[in-house]
Amino acid sequence: MYRKQVRRRRAILVLLVVACLMLISISISEAESGPLQSIQNGVSSVLSPVQEGADRALKPFRDMIGWFDETIDARGENDELRSEVAALQQENLDLQGAAEEAGYLKTLEKLVATSGLDGYERVNASVLGRGFSVWYSTIVIDAGSSDGIEKDDAVVTADGLVGRVSEVTGGTAKVALITQGSSAVTARVAGEGPIGLVVPIIGAPGELDFTLIQGDKEVEDGDELITAGFSSDGLEARFPSDIPIGKVSEAIPAEQEQRQQVSVEPFADLADLDALTVLTSGGGTVE
Amino acid sequence: MIVTPPILARLALVVFLAVILQLAFFSQIPLLGSVANLVPVVIVALGLLGGAVTGAVAGFAAGLLIDVMIGGTLGVASLSLLSAGYLAGRWREGYDIVSSLVPPLLTGALCGVAAAAYGVLQLTLGIDAEVSALAIREIVVQALLGMLLAVPFYPLIRRVLRPALVEDTDRGRPRISPDLLGRGMRFSGLHTSRSAR
Repeated sequence: MYRKQVRRRRAILVLLVVACLMLISISISEAESGPLQSIQNGVSSVLSPVQEGADRALKPFRDMIGWFDETIDARGENDELRSEVAALQQENLDLQGAAEEAGYLKTLEKLVATSGLDGYERVNASVLGRGFSVWYSTIVIDAGSSDGIEKDDAVVTADGLVGRVSEVTGGTAKVALITQGSSAVTARVAGEGPIGLVVPIIGAPGELDFTLIQGDKEVEDGDELITAGFSSDGLEARFPSDIPIGKVSEAIPAEQEQRQQVSVEPFADLADLDALTVLTSGGGTVE
Repeated sequence: MIVTPPILARLALVVFLAVILQLAFFSQIPLLGSVANLVPVVIVALGLLGGAVTGAVAGFAAGLLIDVMIGGTLGVASLSLLSAGYLAGRWREGYDIVSSLVPPLLTGALCGVAAAAYGVLQLTLGIDAEVSALAIREIVVQALLGMLLAVPFYPLIRRVLRPALVEDTDRGRPRISPDLLGRGMRFSGLHTSRSAR
C-alpha cells in the first residue's frame, strides 16, 4: 500500500516536472502569435476584470500602508531634506547661470523642437498588478488595444522612461520594465554626449548599467541619459528619441577599468508606479 | 488530507485568491527593498497540510496562473513553486510539526528555495544582463518576508481546509476509552495522536 502511494507520488511529480519543461520549451520556441501565446492572452483577458476589481478593492489598503510608510520616511528624512533643499537651491542658481552662459537653454529648445514625441498619442493608464521578482519585472496596466495601445509602445511617467508594452489584450497590457533582464535601450548622454546601451543589473532594481559606449567622450557623474531612438539599416529603435531615462550615479574612468563603468539611476520610481502614460502611434507610423 | 470535490474547490479558491492578492496588493507594496511574496507561503502551507502531491499540484497551478497573468515564460514559476510545495509535503510526511514555530521557519526556508530556483531557471534560460550580488539579498529578504507572512496565513489556510484534515476532524470528539477499544470495538484508520500539529 505504502509503495503504491510512493509510486503514485513520484509519477505525479515526474508528470508535473515534464509538463513544466514542455511549457518552458514551447513558450520560448513558439512564435508570438503561436497557440500557447494565444491561450495565454485569452486566459489573461478573461481574468483581467477580476484583477481590475481586486486592484480597486485593495487600493484603500495599499494607500493606508503607503501613508504609514511615507509618514515614517518623511519624519526621518525631514532634516536631511531641509539641508538638501538649501544646497540644491544654491546649485540650481549656479546651474541656471552656467546654462545661460553655455547656451544650454538654446540647445534644450532645439531638443524639444526636434523631439519626435509630438507625433505620438498619449494614453494614460493605472497599474493593475505587477510581477514580484527581480528576474522578471513586468506590470499590468488597465489600458489595452481598445485604447489604441500596440505591442512595443513606449511607456513613461512624468519623470521618465518606464518600459515598453510586451503584450496587449483588449482592456489590459503588460509592460516590460527597463529593469527586466531582457531589456536594452539605446541611449545617449543629453546634449552632445556619446551613445550607448542602457541595460539592467539583475538584483539591483534601482540601478541600470550604461554600456557599449561609443565615441571617445567620457561620461561623468550627474550626466543625464535620454533615449537615442535612432534608426539604422532598416532597424528601428524601440523607443522614441529624447525620453529622459536616468542620471549617471557613478562613472568610473576608462583608465582604471577595461571599459568605462557607468551606473545609472532611473528617473522614474520603478518600485512604486501607479499612473503612467503609453505613447502610441495612433495607428499610424511615427517618424 | 481527504480531498473531496468541495475541498478541491476550496484548494482552487485559495490558490486563485493568493495569486490575485499577490498581483493586486503585495506586489505593489515595497518592503525592505523587495516585495513580499504570498504565493509560495500559501503553497508551502498547502504542502504542509495536504502532503507532497497536494503541494506540488497547487504549486504547479499557481505558477501557471502567475505566468499567464504577468506574461512570464510559461512553466518557470510553476517549476519553482511545485518544488517548494513538494518539499513542504515531503517534510510533512516525514516529520511531525512539534512546535508552532516550525511552519513559519519552514515556510521562510522554502520561500528562499523557491526564489533561488526561480533565479536559477531564469539564468538557465539566458539573461544577458549582469547579475548583481544583491540578487542573493533578494532571496534572503523573500525568505524573511515569507516567514513573517506564514504567521497569520498558515493558521488561516489550516482553518479553511479544516474539514479535510484528518487530525483536525478528530479534534473535539470525546476520547474513546481504551476499555471500549479492548472489547473489540473497531476504530478505523484515523490518527489518534494528539501531537501539536
